[in-house]
Amino acid sequence: MSEQQRYKLHWITAIIEMLKTMKEAILPLVVLVFANGWKGGGTGPWYFEYLSFIIFGVLIISLFVSGIIKWKRFEYWFEDDELRIESGLFVKKKRYIPFDRIQSLDYTEGIFHRPFGLVKVKVETAGGSSMKKAEGELTAITKVAAERIKIELAEAKKRKKEKPVVEGEVTLLADDSWEVPVEETVSVRKIFSMSTKDLLILATTSGGIGVILSGVAIFMSQFADLIPFEWMYEEISAFIKFGVLIVAIAVFLGLLGVWILSVGMTFLSHYNFTVSLDKEDIIITRGLLEKKRVTVPLKRIQSVVLIENPFRKVFGYVSVKIHSAGGGVGESSRINLFPLVKRSEVETYLSEIFPELYLEEPSKKPTSKGRPYYYRIDFVWMLPVIGALIYFFFPYGLFSLAIIPVIVAYGIWQHRSAAYEIVDHQLIMRFRTFSLQTAYTMKKRIQSMEMKQSYFHRRKGVATILVNVKSGMGSYQATVQHMDVEDAEMILDWYEKGKKTSEVIVDKEIIN
Amino acid sequence: MRSQPANRISKKGLKVWRLYGLIQTIILAVLAIGGGVLTYFLEGPWWIYAVETVFLLIIGYLLIILFPKVRWMRWRYEVRDSEIELQHGIFIVKRTLIPMVRVQHVDTSQGPILRKYGLAEISISTAATVHTIPALIMAEADELRGRISVLARVAEDDV
Repeated sequence: MSEQQRYKLHWITAIIEMLKTMKEAILPLVVLVFANGWKGGGTGPWYFEYLSFIIFGVLIISLFVSGIIKWKRFEYWFEDDELRIESGLFVKKKRYIPFDRIQSLDYTEGIFHRPFGLVKVKVETAGGSSMKKAEGELTAITKVAAERIKIELAEAKKRKKEKPVVEGEVTLLADDSWEVPVEETVSVRKIFSMSTKDLLILATTSGGIGVILSGVAIFMSQFADLIPFEWMYEEISAFIKFGVLIVAIAVFLGLLGVWILSVGMTFLSHYNFTVSLDKEDIIITRGLLEKKRVTVPLKRIQSVVLIENPFRKVFGYVSVKIHSAGGGVGESSRINLFPLVKRSEVETYLSEIFPELYLEEPSKKPTSKGRPYYYRIDFVWMLPVIGALIYFFFPYGLFSLAIIPVIVAYGIWQHRSAAYEIVDHQLIMRFRTFSLQTAYTMKKRIQSMEMKQSYFHRRKGVATILVNVKSGMGSYQATVQHMDVEDAEMILDWYEKGKKTSEVIVDKEIIN
Repeated sequence: MRSQPANRISKKGLKVWRLYGLIQTIILAVLAIGGGVLTYFLEGPWWIYAVETVFLLIIGYLLIILFPKVRWMRWRYEVRDSEIELQHGIFIVKRTLIPMVRVQHVDTSQGPILRKYGLAEISISTAATVHTIPALIMAEADELRGRISVLARVAEDDV
């Protein structure tokens, strides 16, 4: 292959890099300036007095220079079906990313990118052994250049597919041979988008619970009169009531501020949230100031989880998360597919993206045998605490007994919510933390399965099933607790068999 | 009822766990003796010695005798052609099923105590989880590692 053309990033990279480093260094800088800058007094030579400003200036200049160097030295090009990146002044770093390994390209448009029509491109690969960063990051390139990467990738894929045919070889295991006809019809179908109304509901209900609680606290403090304070000294009583009110209002205002901030942030980051389907990729775009575009290959999706928050459910809304094998830890592996969607419509949308997924409600429920285990374990810590409270604060400590029915009710609620269902090669598990979670997982995506039984479980014939699914670098656990041991063993058997004789072939066909 | 996995781990493993228990107990004993000395110099009440002794005896019994025994009795594993099954746990018995196709790699490792007894532990990693069989005879661990990696290689699959 001849010498490849090498591409550079846009010059704005230098400024973005500089600002990024500065953002990280801003705190020590501020401390430095405050510690030195405002000492006042006229002692010492002039340069000593302005030391912090000098340091500050030097730092900015050096950051700017290093930003420029980074930009100058950064090159990328395509060669031998690889994306090659070279960077660094003294230590030259070369990174070659084979096209086959590239899982997705994620685009972000920040405020600096917008005026110049640029994007930041993150190259996500399968392994991703480094937790902190995407494998390759092109800080700022023009949209045309971003398009070129895509074309280059697509061409490489096509070359790879054609090759075996030209050579006349039969490649049974050719990864995605069935995709070829599909590829002819280039189509990006829009599946789902969030209206402004939905967006507002999402923004206002996210993290709203703290505000509600502190509102309740204020409300309660007004009723402090009803609590018998007579036995206390008049002044202390007044002070406590006053104090409670002040603290409650302060907390409320603080939380309100945080909440408004989070509403604003959610609004900005989820503005114009759209999910579309492009052949075998899900594409999620969102954001007002910073436009983000995330691509998730369908093949990499491990599990689909329907989350029903009780507060949002009142308004008929649920959310859907997907767990993907790509990406790093936390955020990037747990993708909000639909942050907020009408309960009645979610199945339509999901079945459009995952036609092979069986989306019915799980119908098999654990019997009442397991019910006591949902709250029994809580008594272990509860009884000593309640005992101590009653002992030390005698009459009022008795109020702590009120927690028992709450815990029991919560346990019964969890028990009622739990359910599972096995459909062919798919396991559906439903469990409640506070929100109700329903995990839809194909058998081939389950990494391992565990059945747990304590001594008490064994006596009553109850067991807990835990399923591990890969999620980014880590794992996601779905569980159905305290079910009948026969059912639990049935699930284990289902998981165990399948992979034996003929079904292995069936499974292979489904995968490929 | 599902039958239990077939293989137990080496009897020497029990010895190693007892040794671990002994080491932990010795550390606690040193702390207890420190406490005793302190009590002596501060002229604390006599029952502190009694509490310390009883506490130490109970912990020693649990860590050296009971827990290793229950743990050893419970620990079972079986490597079949298409999956690995493990069973372990003292209070809560966990049975884990790992299909061969999900196995990504297998490691054996060995600390100084395990080496002295000619044992090794074997870790089986899937894409999401890591499962460890502690204390296998070294030759057996190596053989198992080889076998799992061969079996796992047969069934290639995408994650």
